[in-house]
Amino acid sequence: MFLELNEEQKLIQETAREFAKAQLEPLAARLDREDDRPAFLANLKKLAELGFMGLNVSAEYGGSEAGVVAFSVAMTEIARACASTAVTVSVNNMVCEVIQAIGSAEQKKKYIPRICSGEYPAGAFALTETGAGSDPAGMTTSAVAEGDQWVLNGSKIFITSAPYAGVFVVWAVTDKDAPKGKGISCFLVEQGAPGLVIGKQEEKTGQHASATCEVIFDNCRIPKDALMGKLNDGFRIAVGELAGGRIGIGSLGLGVGLAAMDFATKYASERVQFGQKITNFQAIQWMVAEAYTELEAARLLLMQAAYRKDAGKSFAKEASMAKMYATEAANRACYSAVQMLGGYGYTRDFPVERYARDARITAIYEGTNEIQRVIIAREILRNFN
Amino acid sequence: MKILVCIKQVPDMESRFKLNSEGTWYDESDLAFRMNEYDEYAVEQAVQLKEQLGGEPEITVLSIGPDRVVEALKKALAMGADRAVHVKDDKYYQKDPWQVASVIAGHAAGQGYDLVFTGMQSQDRGSAQVGVTVAELLGFGCATTLVGFTYDAGVIMAKRELEGGSKGVIKLKLPAVVTCQLGLNTPRYPTLPNIMKAKKKEIVVQAVSELLKEAEVTGTGGMYPPAKRGGGIVIEGEVNDQLDKLMRILKEKTTVLRAA
Repeated sequence: MFLELNEEQKLIQETAREFAKAQLEPLAARLDREDDRPAFLANLKKLAELGFMGLNVSAEYGGSEAGVVAFSVAMTEIARACASTAVTVSVNNMVCEVIQAIGSAEQKKKYIPRICSGEYPAGAFALTETGAGSDPAGMTTSAVAEGDQWVLNGSKIFITSAPYAGVFVVWAVTDKDAPKGKGISCFLVEQGAPGLVIGKQEEKTGQHASATCEVIFDNCRIPKDALMGKLNDGFRIAVGELAGGRIGIGSLGLGVGLAAMDFATKYASERVQFGQKITNFQAIQWMVAEAYTELEAARLLLMQAAYRKDAGKSFAKEASMAKMYATEAANRACYSAVQMLGGYGYTRDFPVERYARDARITAIYEGTNEIQRVIIAREILRNFN
Repeated sequence: MKILVCIKQVPDMESRFKLNSEGTWYDESDLAFRMNEYDEYAVEQAVQLKEQLGGEPEITVLSIGPDRVVEALKKALAMGADRAVHVKDDKYYQKDPWQVASVIAGHAAGQGYDLVFTGMQSQDRGSAQVGVTVAELLGFGCATTLVGFTYDAGVIMAKRELEGGSKGVIKLKLPAVVTCQLGLNTPRYPTLPNIMKAKKKEIVVQAVSELLKEAEVTGTGGMYPPAKRGGGIVIEGEVNDQLDKLMRILKEKTTVLRAA
């Protein structure tokens, strides 16, 4: 058993860490408070030029071919500095991977290089609807064939990067009469397609720099060849590909948790009360010990899920375990970090309140942690029936 | 043109250092390593020169040390070097600068290098002797502490950092050795595709015993951390008294109030 990153993975981690520290961290607090999309997108462009948008994508399409373990460690390093940037990078990687997995040769050649190179600041996933969150098969957005076009109607919510995404992967019902989940197909919709409307941007608790919007399809017309994968086979694809995204979001959560705990521990080792550093008190020591132990366990779960995906083994259960555990460990770490700073932890003069807000969503998006438990239990119970 | 870049892998300088059991070097077991900062400027400058000359020069990057230094070599390859030489030496820290320079010169002899780039010093030992000694052993010209570099038709214009902020400009013909200082350039981040492609570049491994012909001329007598500083002085009392005390300390213990 060998638990070390290889040289390439270490170099990618180092590159991500140094870039994040120099370029992302100095901006993160300001982007949390005020809108400066040009600055946010400029950093995404630089990350694309370094190869961070297609870590697990073939070089043929402009990807880095660095694999999933490298993706995980890069996401953690980026998230330590800026969770908004990290979620955008994670989604971009997943959009590239989905297109690579099921797109036609033309679709792959057309769209993946544009995301990998930064020509498109982002790609977007349009799956969730107001009535279809944890139960995506309950979606109602429809696609109807009309001549040489598809006509889409309906709306999606919580779409990351919608205002600046160059292309959307959209799931829509193509056979209303099919059993649940059997009549859904997957489409590629370009920004600016007639009838594609970017709706209201959500005012979120955290991850402010990343835009999260409603996307409306109002008789949205797209070419016939915008169908991706097989007709009526889209739901299976969505379910399969989301597992990879969970490694990304778990890694992001880990990064935020580490950032919070690193800051709070440094603070606590300087803060004096009762005439001594507060790290002399067992109450603080336990918070430090528990948080770092949990974050280390999270890292190992993530590495295992990533390793299994790299090795071509099944990884859905492991990805769900890692996502659930890492994001909950991160939230606990953020809670303790705020506690360790006391009143200061609740002010904007220190970054831990931002980390706590940024971490909260990681237990919700890319499949709530309750859904992760459903997946994990199903995989385990299968062996007992 | 053939270019050699000599790099060293050093500990992350933010690490907590412990001494090794012999008390002559630091204990490596818990340290994270990275490329010596000054050597990053050297790699960057070599790659910029290669780009300026349309990709013609071949850049060889060399490092002496245990297996871990391959990571630093791969970073240099990912930044744009063409091939690497790993001089394998687990006891690298027992070699003095004279021996290190001899090993490098031993490799370089007969290779036909025109230009050698290296950092002005390593961040850990900091002798700043290796570059100049390599130049001497090879019979090359040498300019140290470069903060500017241009090259045209076989001639280097090297801007050097001098004491007190002055700069000097040196003209230097090939073959030459130059040592690089902070401010020379901004090293590029290696792109991820280039990190992956670097795997396919050649890394020649040589045992240090094949190249080392010289005995040491200096030896490390001991190594120790600085004495713990006192807790500083707390000045108390009325504001005017505090100022008087502060002025007295500044006059007696420092030079800040002395006339120029």
